[in-house]
Amino acid sequence: MDPAIRQALRDGERLGGRYALQIPQVAASGWTGSRSGRRAGSSIDFQDYREYQPGDDLRFIDWGIYARSDRLTVKLFREEVTPHLDLILDGSRSMNLEHTAKARATASLAALLATAAAHAQCTQAVWLSGEGFQRLPNDTLAPSAWDRLELNSQRTPEQSFEILPPRFRRLGVRLLVSDLLWPGNPLTLLRRLRDGAAALFVIQLLGRDDVNPPEHGNLRAVDCETGEETEVYIDATVAKQYAGNLAQLQQSWDDGCRQCGARMITLVAEDFEKSLPALEAIQLLAPA
Amino acid sequence: MIPFLTYPLALMALASVPALAAIYILRNRFRRQPVSSLVLWRFHAQSKSGGAKIHRLQLPLIFFLELLGLLLLVVAAAGPHWLLPQSTRPLIVILDDSFSMRAVRDRVSAQARAADFLEKLFRRQPPPSTRFILAGTQPRLLGASVRSWPEAAQLLPQWKCWSPGAAIDSAIALAAEFGRQQANILVLTDHNPADEKISNPRLEWRAFGSPLDNLAIINASRTAFGSQDRCLLEIANYSGEARSAKLLVQAGSNDVQRSILTIGAHGQERLIFNIPAVAPVLRASLDFDALAEDNEVQLLPPIRKRVRVQVALTNAAWNNLASHTLEATGLRAAISDNPELVIRESDTISSSNSWNLRWLSPAGATAYVDPFILDHSHPLAEGLTLEGVVWAAAALTNAPGEVPVMLAGNVPLLTAREDALGRRHLTLNFNPELSTLQNTPDWPILFWNLLQWRIAGSPGLKESNTRLGTEVEFKTTGEPVTVIRPDDTTAVFPKTGGDLALETPVPGLYTVVAGAVTNRFAVNPLAADESDLSRCATGQWGAWGEETERRFEETSAVWMFGLAALAILVTHLYLLAAGKGGR
Repeated sequence: MDPAIRQALRDGERLGGRYALQIPQVAASGWTGSRSGRRAGSSIDFQDYREYQPGDDLRFIDWGIYARSDRLTVKLFREEVTPHLDLILDGSRSMNLEHTAKARATASLAALLATAAAHAQCTQAVWLSGEGFQRLPNDTLAPSAWDRLELNSQRTPEQSFEILPPRFRRLGVRLLVSDLLWPGNPLTLLRRLRDGAAALFVIQLLGRDDVNPPEHGNLRAVDCETGEETEVYIDATVAKQYAGNLAQLQQSWDDGCRQCGARMITLVAEDFEKSLPALEAIQLLAPA
Repeated sequence: MIPFLTYPLALMALASVPALAAIYILRNRFRRQPVSSLVLWRFHAQSKSGGAKIHRLQLPLIFFLELLGLLLLVVAAAGPHWLLPQSTRPLIVILDDSFSMRAVRDRVSAQARAADFLEKLFRRQPPPSTRFILAGTQPRLLGASVRSWPEAAQLLPQWKCWSPGAAIDSAIALAAEFGRQQANILVLTDHNPADEKISNPRLEWRAFGSPLDNLAIINASRTAFGSQDRCLLEIANYSGEARSAKLLVQAGSNDVQRSILTIGAHGQERLIFNIPAVAPVLRASLDFDALAEDNEVQLLPPIRKRVRVQVALTNAAWNNLASHTLEATGLRAAISDNPELVIRESDTISSSNSWNLRWLSPAGATAYVDPFILDHSHPLAEGLTLEGVVWAAAALTNAPGEVPVMLAGNVPLLTAREDALGRRHLTLNFNPELSTLQNTPDWPILFWNLLQWRIAGSPGLKESNTRLGTEVEFKTTGEPVTVIRPDDTTAVFPKTGGDLALETPVPGLYTVVAGAVTNRFAVNPLAADESDLSRCATGQWGAWGEETERRFEETSAVWMFGLAALAILVTHLYLLAAGKGGR
């Protein structure tokens, strides 16, 4: 793995020490764990009473009430669960664009989120798109122990979904980190991601070159994923059209997120550290 | 063709042109840049998968601006000179404003031909600046300097050709002084110069006239003649053969005379006839010919002003003598109320506006004979000779402020004084009993002069008929005066005092309104020299020098190219600032 990526994971892990992932109430379900769930369970925290129904565990019948009222009543205790975070990383080449900080920012952001999830007593899985979705080796460990975080795929996350979709855990929190720069209807991917998830967050991570194209002059733009080229003369009009296209793309993703109940935010890789308060603003992170 | 090779600066500047082109060609090569996705560049997407294509070199507008700017600087560095004929000397055009320019040949007047020539001159070789001088009886500058034919055409309507003469020599002198001997002078007239050998290299004389036959009224007057008006018409034939013409004289709508006149070659004929004084405007006209303007005159009734005189002499014989003399002049009004002149023996100051003639009747008078001393410039002494006259007068001296008009040695015989209100006080030192003056023609002349002087001091016009171009005197009472000319233009003179000299630029009937009083006078184009078209000619005399012209013309045009390059650079800067410098 690229040492720079490794270093970025360490940096992200360090930054993540200050935060904890905010788990939505609806996501408080999962394997038995140490967090209170939203259903009745087997913890020692009393939750409620209800009338006995055949099949209930006889151990939870409140015999005192039976003695007083001659009615079988069962005591309910709060469930204790372990929430889960599925971190989906766009592994395409565009996330490793030359002369930008996108790759480092992607690694740092993933490490930060994983560390914050650990602080929130969440389990985690890190999925990297490529020839289908694959989990990162050692993704359950600390981010500095992750391996094969390589952003060199020629496929978009949507194409990867078609080849091999990830096996998300139900009612987990899902978080997509991508530049979202591919044509198509965002709803296709968003619906798949949202399906069975407690919450979905989409973080669009762009490089500064993606946001601001080069100023005046002739440019042969080469698509870093497909190798396709186009020649343009950039002037004020073209720059305006580019900005319009980007805004239109972002708007379509934003609209798709609204339809799916997801939340979306855009970060600039070069300003990554300055953008962390924005992650608090969308109630993704909270100070630890 | 600009000789670049002889100008090293130009050559160096020229070398920068291919350098600029190379810069742009290199600059316009597409630099390669990886991007995250082409999805945002779709508006200019050009597939390169279709194989090689020949692309035209795409250069932005600013390249052409820079190239143009460099070329302009190259030309400027070569030091070009302006060789176009526009850059000649300034021009001063003298326009003959006399009415002979209105003479028509083939339905085109000399004035129109001259104007046509002037337009062609401006179209062919417009001078850097042009001034016009109207050569009327006095030369007069016409407007400000002009630079193009449209500007000149705006001034030319003031060239009316109604002057009774053309002082072209004075106009040339004025033009030479105005142009400081540097300007070209062009004379546009209808006759040849007096000296056809023009030595002035800056003077060109162009004539557009033609020697045409012309019958003209060259003199016309209407004067008071008792209870009637006497009219005089003088008609001249300016042609080499006898000619006949129909003369029509009308007073109002009545024909006074309708006759066929036959006048010999270069001859003249006078017509004198009387018409009633009450007859309105008299119009005399001849048949249409080459110069229509001198074929018609209008004559208004003459002004018959009379003076209200009060004779208040205690001596009955002298009173009778004075009254008879005044009656004989025909200038005394029938009434003597509110008198304008009082003749008496005392020096009583009148409260009215009247003049006063104090007739001294000394008891011990001395008779004087020649020589008498007369101030012939005084209106009272006009026509007086006093030859053989015995004048008896008291041996007095004139009072302070009294100006002697007639003297016998140091004895004042007639003195005049003007008081603060403008009234005249005359003193006549005269004893008729010992004198012979009253028996000589000088006696009624003296009284005629006296009444005429008084009439001249009264408000209104002095005459009702005048010649074109002369000034008409109008004595005002201090009220605003409005003059309505025959061409319906109006001149207003607010709060005038004393005499007003009215210009007569066009012929016809003028109306002068002063308060509630309206006066009219007629102006007729009577000028024998202008009516005589036999001396008119067409041709050119003199020409502007060519050698001196070229030296004067060749001025550097570097500034023009420099300015153009500057304008290009400013445009270049604007396009760059506005982001419009693309293709």
